[in-house]
Amino acid sequence: MNRKVPINRLSKFFGDKDFSLELEMGQEWLYGDMNFTLVLYQIDQSKTKKSNVYGEVEEDGIVYKTPVEFKGYVRVMEPQNENLGSTKLRNLEPGNIQISVYISELEELGIDIKYGDYIGYYETESRVRYYTVVNDGKVTSDNKHTYGGVYPYYRTIIASPVKDNEFRGN
Amino acid sequence: MGFPKKIKKKIDLVPDKILLDRREQLLDYITEDGTYLPKSILHEDLDLGMLEFVKNDLSTVVSGKKISTIDIIITTQNWAQFAETWNFTDLDENINPPFIATVRNPDVKFGTNPALKYNIPNKKMFYYAKVPTWDGNRKGMDIYKIPQPVPVDITFNVKIFCNRMTELNAFNKVVVSKFASRQAYTFIKGHYIPIILENVSDESVLDLEKRKYYIQDYSFTMLGFLIDEKEFEVYPAINRILQMVEVVPPKRKRQKFIVPDLRDTDFYFTYLNGLTTLSQKFDFNADLTFGDLINVETYYVYVNNEYFGENSPLVFVNNGDTVSITIRKIDDNEDSKIMVTSKLI
Repeated sequence: MNRKVPINRLSKFFGDKDFSLELEMGQEWLYGDMNFTLVLYQIDQSKTKKSNVYGEVEEDGIVYKTPVEFKGYVRVMEPQNENLGSTKLRNLEPGNIQISVYISELEELGIDIKYGDYIGYYETESRVRYYTVVNDGKVTSDNKHTYGGVYPYYRTIIASPVKDNEFRGN
Repeated sequence: MGFPKKIKKKIDLVPDKILLDRREQLLDYITEDGTYLPKSILHEDLDLGMLEFVKNDLSTVVSGKKISTIDIIITTQNWAQFAETWNFTDLDENINPPFIATVRNPDVKFGTNPALKYNIPNKKMFYYAKVPTWDGNRKGMDIYKIPQPVPVDITFNVKIFCNRMTELNAFNKVVVSKFASRQAYTFIKGHYIPIILENVSDESVLDLEKRKYYIQDYSFTMLGFLIDEKEFEVYPAINRILQMVEVVPPKRKRQKFIVPDLRDTDFYFTYLNGLTTLSQKFDFNADLTFGDLINVETYYVYVNNEYFGENSPLVFVNNGDTVSITIRKIDDNEDSKIMVTSKLI
């Protein structure tokens, strides 16, 4: 059994109640006002047939668990107009997506966002862009993610866009 | 289990040509569907030949799907890139991997093909073909001449863009197999142009917080050459021979001419070298017969400068007529004689 140690940091002027109040206010703003909805596609490692050597799957070969909707604060970076490699082939590369999500939200839904999972974000009613998680933000020890050092309370996920032939939610 | 080697999988109905026949066949390829001359091969043709080579000879199939090929050389005209790739782009109108692109280095260097590198300076024209002509009256020949082709080395980079190692492997296998003998050939307007695989390098984008994809760059050098139709020369060959001989006749002292008595007698018209006509005036009526021709092919008889006949055996002359005999000699360098028999009437 793991030992539990009481946290008394900042308790003199910022106790549990203050922390919970701030958290509830933030969630009310995020879920009530912002209301960014995303879909998490967790890879089902046991059912996905992958290459023994490269760990690759063929097109539309990824098997995922039941998609789960979750809410988070979304920032989509600017696209970059660039050449592909050293060619003159132009490519307007979509920017990464940065998602801030409450840890409590993930715990309530019973999900975890892992490196390599896919996230769908509906840009319009009919158009969804898929991203793959390149930074799952599991390290939340810094001051920003602990509200000045009290408790870790949110994670910052960074995901990069993927092409249709890698993943398209099929 | 391997297929037994002794069993032929297919039998060619038309056997491949060898030796002289094969060389003639190669020549026929060059002039096929055109004139007797080879067709121009310029930069654009070489580029097209490379695109065709990539499309046909480096075609790669992975999991039953052919990897798309961009069938143009990407230039500064952006719309052309879009027009060529629209059928395999995604919702952002970016090109969807996997695909293969051919990039030509803009700089074209003087060629290193040993067959063409060392040449005769000043673009000397060389005989290429002799072509019969007919202008309605005369048969003739036209001589076709072309300059030695100019060798060029063009560097192409064939790049595969994909996001799976299996696709890289499949393309690599195709390329390496094709160039197992160092070079492969593309067929441009009847010419086999060699292509050499120079290098393989990797430009993959594997940044942690970016979309990851592979780019592999295969660098090829095409040992091409340029032929420009505008530099060809066609001119008529000899179709008629005019042979001229200049002869200096020897100077001889003019002989004193004694008027002979010609009645009932035989006498000779003697044509010295360079002389073809002699005349004689008759002061009586007589029948003249001609015989004993020496070095005379033909003679023409004129009476009082009026044509009487060719090779006439008998001529009647009146008192006061002048008979002229013009001859055509068999050998111009020798003297000629005609014996004339005069019979008084």
